[in-house]
Amino acid sequence: MSGPGNPRPQRPLTSIGARLRTLVANPWGRPRWLVVITWAYMVWSIVPVLIAIQFSFNDGRSIAVWQGFNATRWYWGDHVNSVWHDPTLQHALIQSLKLAGLDMLIATPIGVLLAIGLARWRGYGGRPANFLMLFPLVTPEIVMGVSLYLVFQYVFVFVHPSTTAQVLGQVTFSISYVVDVVSGRLLSIGRQYEEAAADLGASTWESLRLVLMPLLLPSILASMMIVFAVSIDNFVITQWLSCGAGCDTIPIKVYNASRAAPLPSINALAAIMVYLTLVAVGAAYLLYRLLTRGEHGKGSTHTDIASMGSIDFN
Amino acid sequence: MNQSSDGTIQLIGLSKRFGPYLAVDNIDLDIPGGEFFSILGPSGCGKTTTLRMIAGFEQPSAGRILLNGENVEQFPPNKRPVNTVFQNYALFPHLNVFDNVAFGLRRARLDKEEVNRRAAEALELVMLSGLEKRRPYELSGGQQQRVALARALVLKPAGLLLDEPLGALDAKLRRQLQIELKALQEQVGITFIYVTHDQDEALTMSDRIAVMNAGHVEQAGSPQEIYEAPETVFVADFLGAANLMDATAFGDDGGGRCRVEVGGTTLAAALGDSALKGECKVIIRPERIRLERPGPASDGENRVQGRVERSIYIGSAFQLIVRLNIGCTVEVEVQNNGYQTDFEAGSDVSVLLPPEALRVLREGSDARVEASVEKDPDREAAAPAAKRSHQPEDQRAGSTRSIRRARA
Repeated sequence: MSGPGNPRPQRPLTSIGARLRTLVANPWGRPRWLVVITWAYMVWSIVPVLIAIQFSFNDGRSIAVWQGFNATRWYWGDHVNSVWHDPTLQHALIQSLKLAGLDMLIATPIGVLLAIGLARWRGYGGRPANFLMLFPLVTPEIVMGVSLYLVFQYVFVFVHPSTTAQVLGQVTFSISYVVDVVSGRLLSIGRQYEEAAADLGASTWESLRLVLMPLLLPSILASMMIVFAVSIDNFVITQWLSCGAGCDTIPIKVYNASRAAPLPSINALAAIMVYLTLVAVGAAYLLYRLLTRGEHGKGSTHTDIASMGSIDFN
Repeated sequence: MNQSSDGTIQLIGLSKRFGPYLAVDNIDLDIPGGEFFSILGPSGCGKTTTLRMIAGFEQPSAGRILLNGENVEQFPPNKRPVNTVFQNYALFPHLNVFDNVAFGLRRARLDKEEVNRRAAEALELVMLSGLEKRRPYELSGGQQQRVALARALVLKPAGLLLDEPLGALDAKLRRQLQIELKALQEQVGITFIYVTHDQDEALTMSDRIAVMNAGHVEQAGSPQEIYEAPETVFVADFLGAANLMDATAFGDDGGGRCRVEVGGTTLAAALGDSALKGECKVIIRPERIRLERPGPASDGENRVQGRVERSIYIGSAFQLIVRLNIGCTVEVEVQNNGYQTDFEAGSDVSVLLPPEALRVLREGSDARVEASVEKDPDREAAAPAAKRSHQPEDQRAGSTRSIRRARA
């Protein structure tokens, strides 16, 4: 077996060893362990969501024991307890959509103008202002929620805990997201188009309206979608400024219900929130890609998308 | 397509300071209407800043800009009768070719018929008829360049400002567009100010060139003047290859030529200031040096002995590196005329440096040092002003247009 003319038995051994080595340490191969960790993390983080969504399709009344598949019961099929027929759940859904819509419509224009102002700021104060824009993103939400609550309680007393207060609170921190996305776009397109427009005789207003706005449109739409998603998801600030049951949004309702006697309709409500978020973010991405297609320097598009991705959706 | 006013552009004492950096240092230029004028210089020499001040994108720190004899430095870009072709074209990506070209016409509130007619004319001028509906990103680099030209020319400006417009194109297309651009300029008769760092481009197209370095104009003149009669070491070195030799000058030899000593050998230089004395530089172009086999005639005037160190084949010519026995190495260009050259590496040669090709220049300009510093493109505007504060003021005797003040 160990004769010089018979090297065969050794070969599988060495080749297995070599294979193992290359699997672990082949410098030209893909970094497999990174791939493994990435996928493990993806599965780990997405499984709870998938389970929650799965039980929104449960045929029975349990949120823990699978009793068969029913696509519609907890969404609208059940005449008493489905999201559609339970007035509190329906109200939470409507309240969430109302807040998200208002937040989107108010925060986006302000944020866009702020971004332009900051990007084109000449002189002192630009940098501190830019830094301040990050503040709402890094401030713990609970701090912001409490502060807003106290401000409305003691300073701006004409604002009572209400839908208005909730919208004001959400707009306050949503603007940062808009400024962030639009600033990224402004940076990547630079000043050259505005200069070209001015060079060709456009006034400042014309250059803003005819050149800058169309070029910012992708990022404006993207930031609207992001604001929508952020608003739909928001719990802490919305809860602090809530007027009670009438102001409950999806997250608040889900939180309260899951502490009482939850039915799969709560899963359905949570699932709807996930769907809305996914649709908003997906739409933002697709719109952005569609509207910036063919722009020279593909890199800029990618960095913009990356900067979109760098924002965490609470 | 001629402008009623003549299109003269004058810069008077123009300076631009960015914080501590003096990007443009007291420039005076006088550009008559209809001239193809190039501003040539290395990265960071202030040429783009100068152009941007003329266009109105930067406000001068000092000095005046006159277009058609009228002060414009207080006007915003949209009120100035000049248009710009940007380095990366800056075509509006959301508009098609026609709308890009018509943009300026519409801002001028012209009626629809005239907009259509003039935009079509401009597109015809740059040979892009038929591509009106295309978006910029559907065009090749050369086509985008033409759209940018048409978009600027359609407004019939008094002056067209071009910021390295051919920089992004490949060499062959670039050469083709150089010729087209020059022909186009002659056709429309508009003043062109063309900024470039490419000396071939500047020499090929320009009526006149200003060579800029570290924020100031080193020399302004026709391509021939600039190339044949450089007034500073920097200009000689920046335009094409130049052999620079350290020398000592002993003034006029009585025949209008300067007697110079290089490495113990006395040479006669017919170009430059013949009365020069003391430390100087002697300059000769590689194509003006003549090589001969060593022989009985090897000892004449301005002849030195040397040995070929390397011979480089560059297609149209041979580039020879020759070490001279006077202690320096020169580059010699020998035309490739199809015959075998006699000058292999290692062979001894007799080198003739014709007096009528030798130029003496006063030393003392630290332009070369600055040039090497300025090669870092990130140091735009980083003109080391302090460095130049102790320079002799009269180093370019006979300079006509370039004025520089030593800053105390």
